[in-house]
Amino acid sequence: MKLKFKSLFVFMFVFALVLSACAPSAVEETADPADDAEMPAACEEDPLGCGVVPAGETIKIGMGAPMLGDYSMFGIDISQAVSLSLAEDDGFEGWSYELVAEDTGGTPEGGAAVANKLVTDPTVVAIAGHIFSGSTDAAMPIYEKAGLPMMSPSATNPDLTTKGSTVFNRLAFTDADQGKAAADLLFNELGFSKIGVMHDGGTYGQGLADVVKDEFEALGGEVVAYEAVTTGEADYVAPLSAVAAAGPEAVYFGGYAAESIVMMNQWAQAGLSGVQLFGADGTYGVEFTQKTGANGEGAIAASLVPPDSDEKTAFDAIYAENFPTAAGELSAFTWSSFDTGNVLIEAIESVAFVDNGTLYVPRSALVEAVRQMDTTGLTGAIVCDEIGECNASGPTFYQVVDGAWVPLDLASE
Amino acid sequence: MKTALKKGLSSGVVFGIVFIFLLLIGLINVGSMMVGDLLGNTKGLAYNDPLPTSNLLAVLAIMGLLAGISARKGEDESKWWVSFLGGLTAGLVSGILAWLAIWVTETMSIDGVNFQTYLPNMDPNDLNYLRFYSTPVAAANTYLVYFVVFSLIGSALKWLFSINGWFAKCWQVCREGVSTWKESKNLKGVLENRWVMLVAFLIVAVVLYFLPLAWGSYWNYIMGTVAIYVLLGLGLNIIVGYSGQLVLGYVAFFAVGAYTFALLTAPEPHGIGLNLWLAVGAAVLTSTATGFLIGLPILNLRGDYLAIVTLGFGEIIRILIRSDILTVLTNGPKGVTNVGQPTLNGEVFSDVNYMHLLLLLVLIGLFIAKRLKDSRTGRAWIAIREDETVAQATGVNTYRYKILALLLGAAFAGLAGAMFASRNQFTGPEDFTMMVSINVLCIVIVGGMGSLPGVVLGAFVLKGLPELLRELEDYRLLVFGALLVVMMIVRPEGLWPAARVKFKKPSGKQAKDLATEVEQ
Amino acid sequence: MINKLRNLKLTPGLILRLLVGLVVLIYLGWRIYQTAFGEGIYGPDTWMRFLITGLVVGGMYALIAIGYTLVYGILFMINFAHGEVMMLGTFAGYFALEAFSAIPAPSAADQGLSFLNANPVIALLLTFIAGAGVSALMGYLLERIAYRPLRGAPRLVPLISAIGASIFLQNAAQLLFGPQRRQYQNPDLLWRGTGWMIPVGGKEVMLTYTGLFSFVLSILLMVALFILVKKTKLGKSMRAVAENKQAAALMGIDVDSVISKTFIISGILAGAAGVMWGIHNGLFNHYVGFLPGIKAFTAAVLGGIGNIPGAMMGGMLLGLLESLGPALLGLDFQLKDVIAFTILILVLIFKPSGLLGEALSEEKV
Repeated sequence: MKLKFKSLFVFMFVFALVLSACAPSAVEETADPADDAEMPAACEEDPLGCGVVPAGETIKIGMGAPMLGDYSMFGIDISQAVSLSLAEDDGFEGWSYELVAEDTGGTPEGGAAVANKLVTDPTVVAIAGHIFSGSTDAAMPIYEKAGLPMMSPSATNPDLTTKGSTVFNRLAFTDADQGKAAADLLFNELGFSKIGVMHDGGTYGQGLADVVKDEFEALGGEVVAYEAVTTGEADYVAPLSAVAAAGPEAVYFGGYAAESIVMMNQWAQAGLSGVQLFGADGTYGVEFTQKTGANGEGAIAASLVPPDSDEKTAFDAIYAENFPTAAGELSAFTWSSFDTGNVLIEAIESVAFVDNGTLYVPRSALVEAVRQMDTTGLTGAIVCDEIGECNASGPTFYQVVDGAWVPLDLASE
Repeated sequence: MKTALKKGLSSGVVFGIVFIFLLLIGLINVGSMMVGDLLGNTKGLAYNDPLPTSNLLAVLAIMGLLAGISARKGEDESKWWVSFLGGLTAGLVSGILAWLAIWVTETMSIDGVNFQTYLPNMDPNDLNYLRFYSTPVAAANTYLVYFVVFSLIGSALKWLFSINGWFAKCWQVCREGVSTWKESKNLKGVLENRWVMLVAFLIVAVVLYFLPLAWGSYWNYIMGTVAIYVLLGLGLNIIVGYSGQLVLGYVAFFAVGAYTFALLTAPEPHGIGLNLWLAVGAAVLTSTATGFLIGLPILNLRGDYLAIVTLGFGEIIRILIRSDILTVLTNGPKGVTNVGQPTLNGEVFSDVNYMHLLLLLVLIGLFIAKRLKDSRTGRAWIAIREDETVAQATGVNTYRYKILALLLGAAFAGLAGAMFASRNQFTGPEDFTMMVSINVLCIVIVGGMGSLPGVVLGAFVLKGLPELLRELEDYRLLVFGALLVVMMIVRPEGLWPAARVKFKKPSGKQAKDLATEVEQ
Repeated sequence: MINKLRNLKLTPGLILRLLVGLVVLIYLGWRIYQTAFGEGIYGPDTWMRFLITGLVVGGMYALIAIGYTLVYGILFMINFAHGEVMMLGTFAGYFALEAFSAIPAPSAADQGLSFLNANPVIALLLTFIAGAGVSALMGYLLERIAYRPLRGAPRLVPLISAIGASIFLQNAAQLLFGPQRRQYQNPDLLWRGTGWMIPVGGKEVMLTYTGLFSFVLSILLMVALFILVKKTKLGKSMRAVAENKQAAALMGIDVDSVISKTFIISGILAGAAGVMWGIHNGLFNHYVGFLPGIKAFTAAVLGGIGNIPGAMMGGMLLGLLESLGPALLGLDFQLKDVIAFTILILVLIFKPSGLLGEALSEEKV
């Protein structure tokens, strides 16, 4: 008996010691709002509480994006645009804005991990994101429970707004629209009657592939092959050969550039010479043209480039000044990201208030404000409907000609 | 004298190369920032204020000192000028290498060469800082001087400490004092007193209760992760530490437990909505069953084959969960959202509640693991671990005990998995990569194989510590890898090794009784 | 053989294994029959493509697997960092090719051509030397720094050290060169995606130049290694040290030097495989060595660890299984790793020392 208790005591003591050794530094760092005895009345009434930003701290907007690795061009481009919108703003009553962009690796698991981390920080009041549909899907319930409104510039999966979330909103078009437009283009404009459909298994990729498959068949076409690939591999000759064996005239790929680049480079090897590659907004970007070179000629992808305007030209100039790449070079979402930042700032400034030298942002009020957004941006009119769809413009299609993405010219097909 | 020169030379070359490496990956800058934070010597508030270069000098000083100290290591000649020779050589060699590196890179940088296409961490602004905002030659000279000077100081210090041996003698005296104090009767009496134990127990319990309330959501999240890894470590400890089976696919059980819990409680793929505590039980059961199924075919395999096969099982389970064919069951790569969370008095568990639950589970786990170790089963495992053939010869049913170890280890993983999925509110196949198995294995071995406090300490060091060093975030894994290698070379028995059970010699009367017994 | 059968004890375990084995074989045979002959979805040209891919990848796996087996045979440790040694070779080859494509050709006749395209053979040779050299150096350093101090330690200790070294090297590469994927700049002669068009079953199948090149080079290197181990003095010393370190030392063999040389040789092979990987596959980053490393180790175990022909065979077999397996069994291509690992597990259950058995002596447990 003695031995048992002694060892048990030792373990717990060690545990407690080390735990408490780490605690003091932590207690100073995080301001736990629950401890704050003088919460303003508006915060007491708000069912989700308030975001608290003490003097000297910044108002933080969080983001879950793929910042490292194969998909980093999206994360880098989008975080740059959002941080530009935050930097261009003068702040609110002496508090400035800051973007906290955490890496999700492009996976849903990463999205959930980032969300769990961001909700522990009371100075994070809104989320510009997430960027990938899968990672958004995983993070949504977490933000819902914590009361952080989301505005995504790029998450396109249609199901995201049908789940009854009150916090999720997006500026990007939905894949229901993108898939339909793609199927229409493939069947009617480009005249293909037999296509193969491939996807990467993720929420975004497979969702899109399924929409295209259904729409194409509804129009009267035939989907001769439907294959999934695993992300992150170097060799797709086997699944591509399997698709080639069915004799398609074009292949639609729902997925990101990281995979479509590898596929495009192995096109001829797999027996798909002469077969058209039709990609999604995930394929668009300078990474694809650079890494496929001559192999990528003629590939088609979707994009979210807004029509030309004075504001767009001005933005392009400022973006080029601040960052080594041009707007729209790394991904299609530079402009919608800029709009996202501005929209969130507008919403925050409409509900935040200062009390006793500390800034408070009532959470449910902010969620409401984002959902009720009615403004204009680079991408056009931004009016959110009841389920969180805030943008009416659809995808535009681009093609690789002489190593660069140009708007798809149907007359030359 | 020759050895001193050789040592100095090798030490200098090593430090020179290390310096160049750190330069290329940008750690010198980060190091300066950390020194700055430590000393409160950070840059001014305006955007354009230059970073204080004194921090950089401090970093150089430290490197010089280390070079000098390592040049002197193991040198037992007490001639004072020998140590200075060693230090000088080390300083000169590393200083010259540093001089060349700085001069070459800075000159190229000034000429407009863009390193960043091939070496992204060599930001021109950082390079500007590294040359003290002046010319390459002047900067390189500073580096050389600092290296030489501080290397000399370092070797001088080392010589000082070793010459009289007074430092070592002090240390020896302290240790003896501590051990005599430990052996003294008074202390023993105190520690073994029932009431003292009970009071200490209560104090610790109270501390553990209030801690999660005090330190905020962020730390609850981090420490919760540590607690889950402690549970995982306890389970793997039973398999690897106690019974000596090298299982590299431990994540398979973790995945099965997490997914069972998630699929039974989440609305999305199936909408079963089972009672949460029943779901936890189900998770433990399924992972134990998986342990059984995986264990059966591999019982006959030897050490390294066992490792690769279990690794294979881990990957198989992850790929199957992710694959198209099982998407109907598992929801594929999209993962399972809205995993069930327990409720307390009608309200969903907050992070504090989760922390309390996890602490409770960890304590129970430690208790079970400790009892197992001291039981007959535990001794059987240790026998199997030490030498399986001999164990079998002495009548231990090795198959039974090996499977039992797998089952228990899997059960721990299943419990940890259920907690993991519940706390995260989401789980997906990429949460269960090979790296998780490797992390848990490292926790067990770095902590000390077969040792329970070691597992706890290991989980802290490998999971909790990285969070404390946020600036080193990008370099976290680099340091982790280097730490593993260094630890295995310097202290392979682990941070807190398991105490071997000492066989107590019987005292006078007992010995006589035993002797007479044996004779009869 | 007959004596063996007669002396076989029919334990329940054995009966269970035989039954399971029978069931598995019948299922496999049925599925293969179905897909290959019954349904006929894939024409002979598609099968040819699968075969080609399998052989090319198998050659690379074989080279890396030999590295694992050599080290295991001598030190009885799994060199977890071997994949990273290959990765460093890939990076070295990349930088060499980048340098060569930036330097203009020396002779006046080839205006506007880079060195790479003017003298592709020399450039490629130098690239391979660079890649193999860096990997060899890395293998040597790895042994000296991370493994030599742990010579007599229990088995798990060098394993953890190897894991630590692997993580360190991966992240060092990431921090030095960035996490973005880079692309190999092949000479125009060996441009990816170009090759001979072979007519198979009425359609044309492309045999890529890079694929053929990699395969032929793999075979050449394997033959060279075989000759080294069987015929040269160094090979004999290696086999002696693998058999019994102490006896070899008593016979006057410098064990430390032989071990270092073994690591260097396995590094050369891995580096060559790494450069081949870059030339054939094109895109790579710091993670490129991880999965092939694991797979090559699986291949080495499959063939019988410590056994060099076993490693070669295991590597080829694994490459073919990955490529042909899903198609033959009518399963998803995503499951190719599952198939590979399952085959490994099945082989180990029935033949615990691998397909060709181990060439190690008894006392090594």
